Amino acid sequence: MAAGIRSQAMHFQARAGQQVRNLGLQRALQKAKPLFVGKRAKGIASLVEDGLDFGLLRSTGKNARNRNLEDLDVWLDIFEERATATGAEVLWARDGEEVSRLVVDIAQRHGVTKAVKSKSMLSEEAQLNEALAAAGIRPVETDLGEYIVQLAGEAPSHIIAPAVHKTIGEVEALFAKEHGRPLEARTSADIPAMAQEARAVLRQHFLSAEMGISGANFLIAETGSAALVTNEGNGRMVTTLPRIHVVITGIEKIVPTLDEFATLMRLLPRSATGQSISNYVSLLTGTKREGDHDGPEKTIFILVDNGRANLLGTPYEEMLRCIRCGACMNHCPVYFSLGGHAYGWVYPGPMGSVLTPLFTGIENALDLPHASTGCNQCGAVCPVEIPLPELMHRLREEQNERGLRPCSERLALKAWAWLAGKPTLYRWLTRRAARYLSWLADDSGRIRVFGLAPAWTAGRDLPVSSGRTFHELYSARKKA
Amino acid sequence: MRLALYVTCLVDLMRPSVGFAALRLLEATGVEVVVPAGQTCCGQPAWSAGDRPLAVDLARKAILELEAYDVVVIPSGSCTDQIRNVYPELFADDAHWGPRARALAGRTFELTSYLADVAKVEMATPEFDGSVTYHDSCKGLRGLGIQRQPRELLAKVRGLTLKEMADCEECCGFGGAFSVKFGEVSTRIVDRKCDSISAAGADAVVGGDLGCLLNIEGRLRRRGDETTRVLHIAEVLAGGGEG
Repeated sequence: MAAGIRSQAMHFQARAGQQVRNLGLQRALQKAKPLFVGKRAKGIASLVEDGLDFGLLRSTGKNARNRNLEDLDVWLDIFEERATATGAEVLWARDGEEVSRLVVDIAQRHGVTKAVKSKSMLSEEAQLNEALAAAGIRPVETDLGEYIVQLAGEAPSHIIAPAVHKTIGEVEALFAKEHGRPLEARTSADIPAMAQEARAVLRQHFLSAEMGISGANFLIAETGSAALVTNEGNGRMVTTLPRIHVVITGIEKIVPTLDEFATLMRLLPRSATGQSISNYVSLLTGTKREGDHDGPEKTIFILVDNGRANLLGTPYEEMLRCIRCGACMNHCPVYFSLGGHAYGWVYPGPMGSVLTPLFTGIENALDLPHASTGCNQCGAVCPVEIPLPELMHRLREEQNERGLRPCSERLALKAWAWLAGKPTLYRWLTRRAARYLSWLADDSGRIRVFGLAPAWTAGRDLPVSSGRTFHELYSARKKA
Repeated sequence: MRLALYVTCLVDLMRPSVGFAALRLLEATGVEVVVPAGQTCCGQPAWSAGDRPLAVDLARKAILELEAYDVVVIPSGSCTDQIRNVYPELFADDAHWGPRARALAGRTFELTSYLADVAKVEMATPEFDGSVTYHDSCKGLRGLGIQRQPRELLAKVRGLTLKEMADCEECCGFGGAFSVKFGEVSTRIVDRKCDSISAAGADAVVGGDLGCLLNIEGRLRRRGDETTRVLHIAEVLAGGGEG
């Protein structure tokens, strides 16, 4: 397992069961799903008004991302050169542990006691908050959702809506405790007031923090800039107010030119939230220049591998196209039955079911590639055409090739396949099976408890036929 | 022209009436319909579990028994997807089996797409007294693009009104082994499907894949819905089951 990663993905099965039974969570998810799906659908439909075709845009985005990856090393070199020329510093990190070490080191060298953070999933990969806290530096999450999950001592459960699993009552309890005020009854009408409350608290942190830490949605090679796509404005505070700005992002986030960035920006906000453009799009280049009113005195990019380069040239390279919009999880029936925490590591939903095994070890996340009905709702919405079900399937095959599937499963499959290869025997056995099923069924033709597949009848009946197979009846009919 | 009906292992064991309904519908198009005797399973469960060698074995078996026919028709989007989309991929680099897999894939059709797009013969108008809501199964919908065909065919059924449910394109949570591997999750997903079905208020829910239908029927009944009928589209179009 890559260093610095603490994964619970092996416990998916047990955690999934818990989450399905968590009524508060189910209520929160039930509410969020139609919003996500509806907004995206509207956003995609609105492309037509701009004379754009989603299918065409998707393949343009896909091809652009593929080209970025083909010459990844070249674009990264160019980025480093251009970013350095603008006065920024570029550092490289092999894994999450190195990210944490670098950030703590920078903070200590500059006497930082508090760091404000804009959303960064990579900092979750690195478990940066824990490392900062251990070094006596207070990390303060400033994205509203991230702020909520930080107060709760939890990890984000969604890559763009970190607190989607929380009900308003849970958020109110956290706020009342943290902000030292009595608990109030809240409805969704109070959300703006609650956001204002968090904003007032966060404002003080923005003004007093010595360091800002952000991710980057894209790195633009030709200008040496980081592009930041946000909706709350906290990203601008984090990247301009503190003396030091540290950008942490994956090496695959690079795009060669602003032109390609523009193409991807037509896809990203629409796929994520349905917006034609997010409230804020920042292009952060270099440091505070003479005459600038604000901006960091020092800008440091930490470009992180953490398992990404290993995917180049493999069947999984396509996963590196991902622009982290969240559409795959927003349309995933499994994600919306569990929420993100069941997935056990940083990334949930279909993209997580592919990335977690690849980044933390296939043997450490055996359930995830199977945690899919194969419905391909994710693949159908992905703005850069990542064939997520195919990649999950490839991971399933790799589990088999490496002998990682349970013996019982392999044997059962082998026995069944052997039988399916012997039609005469197969007919004989299925005839008996049909009779057995029909014998187990009650008067209404249904099995209520089925010992051979208890997981099925735990939640549903098993409707069965009259005890004859099709082929049995068909042969009888032909003879008649 | 000789047409092979591949009934699927699930129909064979769990609901033969679907196979007979498909048989009647295909015979009514005026071609010779054969049920190849050796057919068992297309191998999708092995493929889906990630066991490529087993999937390849069963694919070869199916190719051998089906390639002699002019057309193969299957009352399932899922199994059709396996033959049309997965078989060619399984043998992509195989000079011997590759062309045969691709040839078979091109001649294999899901039942409703065969009836609506290929056969296109005017059949005796079936009757159905009541309203139905249609569940689009995932492999048929997103793997084969089947969406218009079943609705076109249902529109011709006398006495039938279609009441579309919300999120008819959303997965029912079956997913083959998924429903057993992750039973609770699957139940949660099918619960949402059942909510949509109940809200549509139709007399019957109709679909093109028996796996999804068993899942939906099993959950509806467990929730106490004893009245909503759960039917394969072949049963509706052929006017009632047999066998």
